[in-house]
Amino acid sequence: MSRHAKILEQIGIPTAPCTGENVIEYLEGWDRRYNSGIALRYTVFPLPVAGVSRAVHEVYLKGNDPVTGKPIMQEIIDALTKPTTSDEQITGLPEESSEPRLLAPDTEENLQELFKAKDWTDYLPVVLPTEVRVAAMLKGTSHKPEEVVKTMTWPGGGRQLTVEKAAVCAVMAGARPQYLPVILALATMAPFGNSTTSMANMLIVNGPIRKEIGMNSGTGAMSPYNEPNAVIGRAFTLLSKTAGNLHAGLTNFSSLGNNLQYNNCCFAENEEGLPEGWNPLSVQFGYTKEDSVITVALGWTYISCVGEVETEYPPQMLISDYMKSLSAVGSAALLCADPLVAGMLHDHEGFTSKEMLSQWLSKNTKVPVQTFWGNGLTTSFYSNLGIQGLEPYATWKKLPPDSLIEPFTNPKAINAVVVGGQTNTIWFITDFRIGKGVLIDAWR
Amino acid sequence: MSEIKSQQKDDKITVLNPACSSTMAERVPLAPRTFTNLEGKTIYLVDIGWGGPKAGYDVFEVMQEWFARTIPSVKTVLVKKKGSYTEDDPELWEKIKADGDACIIGLSC
Repeated sequence: MSRHAKILEQIGIPTAPCTGENVIEYLEGWDRRYNSGIALRYTVFPLPVAGVSRAVHEVYLKGNDPVTGKPIMQEIIDALTKPTTSDEQITGLPEESSEPRLLAPDTEENLQELFKAKDWTDYLPVVLPTEVRVAAMLKGTSHKPEEVVKTMTWPGGGRQLTVEKAAVCAVMAGARPQYLPVILALATMAPFGNSTTSMANMLIVNGPIRKEIGMNSGTGAMSPYNEPNAVIGRAFTLLSKTAGNLHAGLTNFSSLGNNLQYNNCCFAENEEGLPEGWNPLSVQFGYTKEDSVITVALGWTYISCVGEVETEYPPQMLISDYMKSLSAVGSAALLCADPLVAGMLHDHEGFTSKEMLSQWLSKNTKVPVQTFWGNGLTTSFYSNLGIQGLEPYATWKKLPPDSLIEPFTNPKAINAVVVGGQTNTIWFITDFRIGKGVLIDAWR
Repeated sequence: MSEIKSQQKDDKITVLNPACSSTMAERVPLAPRTFTNLEGKTIYLVDIGWGGPKAGYDVFEVMQEWFARTIPSVKTVLVKKKGSYTEDDPELWEKIKADGDACIIGLSC
């Protein structure tokens, strides 16, 4: 919202932006320093604003800004009419303060505490990134230490994440040099999900590098039973927190948080367990089977089928049933299926490709329209589009509440990945959204 | 870890800094406040759409009623910004510039 308010101020319109108390520290501090550069005059409302009645909103307007303690309406009037102060008239670039390459020498114990105090860890012990260790890690790539992997624009500040900084995080996470190309590819996608809605990521590796570095795609692949799965996933967390400069309550707004962010659900696809005609995830997005690729998915949750597949009810039916619990934001769903389940879907149910299964799930998963609109995120994204006439949302806005709709409108956003060790016919259905993966080979 | 294990507990070591330097934003001034009260002014109330069609919009409807009761000479124009809450709406900004004196925008949470 600060972008909109800034534009209005720049065209000469006095503006009073109104916000919730959950983001005001970020807006007045970080956002002003690194993004907007403008001292907007915010008025803060108590939470919640969405999902409560008009009577609650009336109480808010009669009450006080919970941060300043001033009456809300008077504060808004003051924001529009009080003369601007010298601080509000400042122009030009402020003085830069740069981070030194090396930290001041200290004991291991003190440095571990410093790293925790700076919010650079996941609060598990890290391997301290000495020059010797980082130099050894950098042997895992041909890229120069000073090369910029990504400029981190969120949550502001344009921080340059270099190969060396990524190697520092790789050391901290406990990685070996041979994992570095994967971590550098991953660094291009940092930081991890950061939203009040408490999102998470899923990291899926395809191609020859899975075996080269010993990743697990079989039994326990999504559990802590394999070093590269564990530390590559952890490295994404450390990259996100350090280069992303994420701090809970200041630049991270995740209300409940998401436990998946400790490891970001990092695993390799069991390409050897794919039925005939089912392509690896990376191949579906245009890579060859010889390419090593990491795909970063973004979502919130996953639901397990819990028990084995039953003869009386084919797996696609139960998958569809459980998909009804997902928000359908972006039409996204990701099935993580054991090779046994993939084989049953292929051999017994006739799904000769992943795409065919996606089409079926898109057409056959139906929910009452009120369920779709009952989710604040789908409403925030699609309600205005419906009001502006965009289909199918315009039609869905007019339907009786219990009308059934097919919310997963885009089969291409419904994906499947095969993972697991064939110890049972188990699957997870998730709401993770997938885009094209990153070529790991480019970072060797 | 062997590099550190070989050292005494109180020995000092040097490590690399994981943090990246941040670039500051160029500072921009607020628009001058050219009026000291809102009597007779046209104020746009802009709902950016966060939280769905009823969250901010409902707050602004209540605010519109407040202005009608408290400062009746104020003309309020309640509008929804187009697209999702992050999307730009240059046409609306131009309209506000042409027809409005001030703007109240929100809510973001």
